[in-house]
Amino acid sequence: MTADQLPISKSAVIKDVLDSPLKINLMELGFLPGKKITLQHVAPLNGPMAFRLEESTLALRKAEAALLDIQLL
Amino acid sequence: MPEQTQSPLVKPLKIAIIGNPNVGKSTIFNQLTGLSQKIGNYPGVTVDKKIGMMNYQGSTYEIIDLPGTYSLYPNSEDEIIAHRVLNQLSEVERPDYVLMVIDSLQLSRGMFLASQLIDLGLNLALVLNMSDLAEKHDLEIKGFELFKALGVPILNTDARGSKGLEQIRELIHQKNFSKKSQFLQVDDFIDSSLLQDIKEKFDLSNDYQAYQILRFGLKDKGLPLEKRQWVKNKIDSLNINLESAQLEETKLRYRKITGIIEKVLVKKEDRKVSSNTIDKIILHPVFGYLVFASILLVIFQAIFAWATVPMDLIDGVFADLGTWVSTVLPEGVLTSLLAEGIIPGIGGIVIFIPQIALLFGFLAILEDTGYMSRVVFLMDRWMRPFGLHGKSIVPLVSGVACAIPGVMAARNIGNWKEKIITIMVTPLMSCSARLPVYIILIGLVVPNETVLGFINLQAVALLSLYLLGVIGVLFTAFGLKSILKTDEKSFLMVELPSYRTPRWKDVIITMYNKSKTFVTEAGKVILAISIILWVLGTYGPPEKMEEIRAERDQKIELASSEVEIEEIRAEASSDLLENSFIGIMGRAIEPAIRPLGYDWKIGIALITSFAAREVFVSTIATIYSIGGDPEDDSTIREKLNAQINPVTGDKVFNKATAFSLMVFYVFAMQCMSTLAIVYRETKGWKWPLIQTVYMTALAYISALITYQILS
Repeated sequence: MTADQLPISKSAVIKDVLDSPLKINLMELGFLPGKKITLQHVAPLNGPMAFRLEESTLALRKAEAALLDIQLL
Repeated sequence: MPEQTQSPLVKPLKIAIIGNPNVGKSTIFNQLTGLSQKIGNYPGVTVDKKIGMMNYQGSTYEIIDLPGTYSLYPNSEDEIIAHRVLNQLSEVERPDYVLMVIDSLQLSRGMFLASQLIDLGLNLALVLNMSDLAEKHDLEIKGFELFKALGVPILNTDARGSKGLEQIRELIHQKNFSKKSQFLQVDDFIDSSLLQDIKEKFDLSNDYQAYQILRFGLKDKGLPLEKRQWVKNKIDSLNINLESAQLEETKLRYRKITGIIEKVLVKKEDRKVSSNTIDKIILHPVFGYLVFASILLVIFQAIFAWATVPMDLIDGVFADLGTWVSTVLPEGVLTSLLAEGIIPGIGGIVIFIPQIALLFGFLAILEDTGYMSRVVFLMDRWMRPFGLHGKSIVPLVSGVACAIPGVMAARNIGNWKEKIITIMVTPLMSCSARLPVYIILIGLVVPNETVLGFINLQAVALLSLYLLGVIGVLFTAFGLKSILKTDEKSFLMVELPSYRTPRWKDVIITMYNKSKTFVTEAGKVILAISIILWVLGTYGPPEKMEEIRAERDQKIELASSEVEIEEIRAEASSDLLENSFIGIMGRAIEPAIRPLGYDWKIGIALITSFAAREVFVSTIATIYSIGGDPEDDSTIREKLNAQINPVTGDKVFNKATAFSLMVFYVFAMQCMSTLAIVYRETKGWKWPLIQTVYMTALAYISALITYQILS
């Protein structure tokens, strides 16, 4: 599954960052294979999603979250 | 050869500050340089160059603040700057030293950029900022281990405290920076013979710099065409996939960093996160928006309540100054230019300062506390259907007070298309300068009555005008979304930083610098237009103007009382305005504005208020030759109410005309300060011109429809 389908307050491990022009941007922010993410907040009407990644909280749109291939924990 | 005299002033050392967004970089820059900041230009981009001087123990240092970035690979215009400054090929432009600020809680992300800087062969020092937060999170960073791994000086500090800043000053003063050869082997992901070729061609010694040329040389307009072509040929002939090379680099880099982090970072205990509890409310699908709305309400309340006092004061001072100049100096063209052109022109600039300063103060607080990113998170979904970005909310909200700081705030938006749309629509939000126009016209035609027990009709009318502005924003943004084209992909990747208390000194410095930028940059254009308007309003066909003046002087001689003289003067100045070039222009546009329900007198007011909307009230007052106190609304209102159209016998300011005018002012540009700032932010006349034409057309059509329906 991809991170846009992660239920709220659930955690997952990133398996892969899918190919896209934004792949490098995501990796630069620290979304790397092996890292654990937790979905903390979702804005209404399929708005942005806020993930906990290590010590930081990062917001992504659903389309960007869909680029993270994850394994549910 | 002439003898060269060595200047005793040695050129100050240049230190660039760089870091990820939200690491407290700007705070450090503000605290080091204080009020000595200057805004300059980078050629070819709209991003400002922020430079400040730091004086420490008798030495002066030039500090350059680079926009926050996660890597040397630019995504927004902001980030191109960091890339460009650090990759400057000429030694003159290149900073002598680079100070990189890292958030102690985000060590690996910071090290990503730091390791790229090391690879570029820069003289580098790292500041591990917010070490206090790291302690709170039970994280320990082994500074010496990190130093061993990276080979550059590392300062562990909290720049929010004065001790931390002193340490940073000392570090700069001691020139405690160093160069380390390489972090990554560039030939691990790019062929080494190609790197060798580039180094020879561009006269470089550094592999990573050579690689950067390969990666971005094509897009860098700073390079000569011949060299760009050379790079393109290389890429094409060797069939290099730059994307995959960059991906490979990113992987290698993070792998190495992860190895270092394992040795350097000690997590004492796995703890729950604290920011999260506040965010449960702030980011709540219902309460989050309520909190945001309440904060907006407080800000506007404060701006309207606090800014009016200094604004009235400024207004008064400049009016008095104008009067004083015209009484003290001998009568003549120069005096008139000074008293009626230049002084009100400068006054028209200065009067915006309280609002701009306050608004930027509030924005700085919201930014500093970390709340602004939350607003972006909450609003992004609502903005997107209109071609706007979550970050557009800041300019739009500011626009209700004043479009000028709003347009300035659009700079943070990375995507070109979203930035242009935001700048184009922000002036459609009803700003505070429209308020006097609305109030006087509503007072004329909307009865001050209450319906259903609590709804005041005048308040409803005022609210409707504001809503009309918002509709204009959404409509226009939606239209532009389908017209403008860009290859850039819109995305949102924003960090929600931990909440922090704002630094007040930092807030004040921001307020000061933003106001200064406005006065110096927009001021020039505003002053020029004020003078043009003065010329057009003062001069007319000479014979006619002379005739009016002679008649006036004759009447004054015959007048018996002071009151009568005042009346004659007022009438004459109204006649002079009617026959000036502006008056002639007003008459010329009358056929065009008649369908909107305006006569040529209103036409004059439309032209003069092009400088600033609120001028409408004073022009109308002059034209209808109202003596006495122009600040007294009721007299203006009574006079306007008494104006009768000689042809139809109706009131000039009937319901249809008044509403048509209000609608016109909702949409029309009518503000040269905004025009000037849009020119500045887009670095050209194209967008401000399109904007003016569009807004005027929108205003005209809407006013036409309004009048035709109501009359």
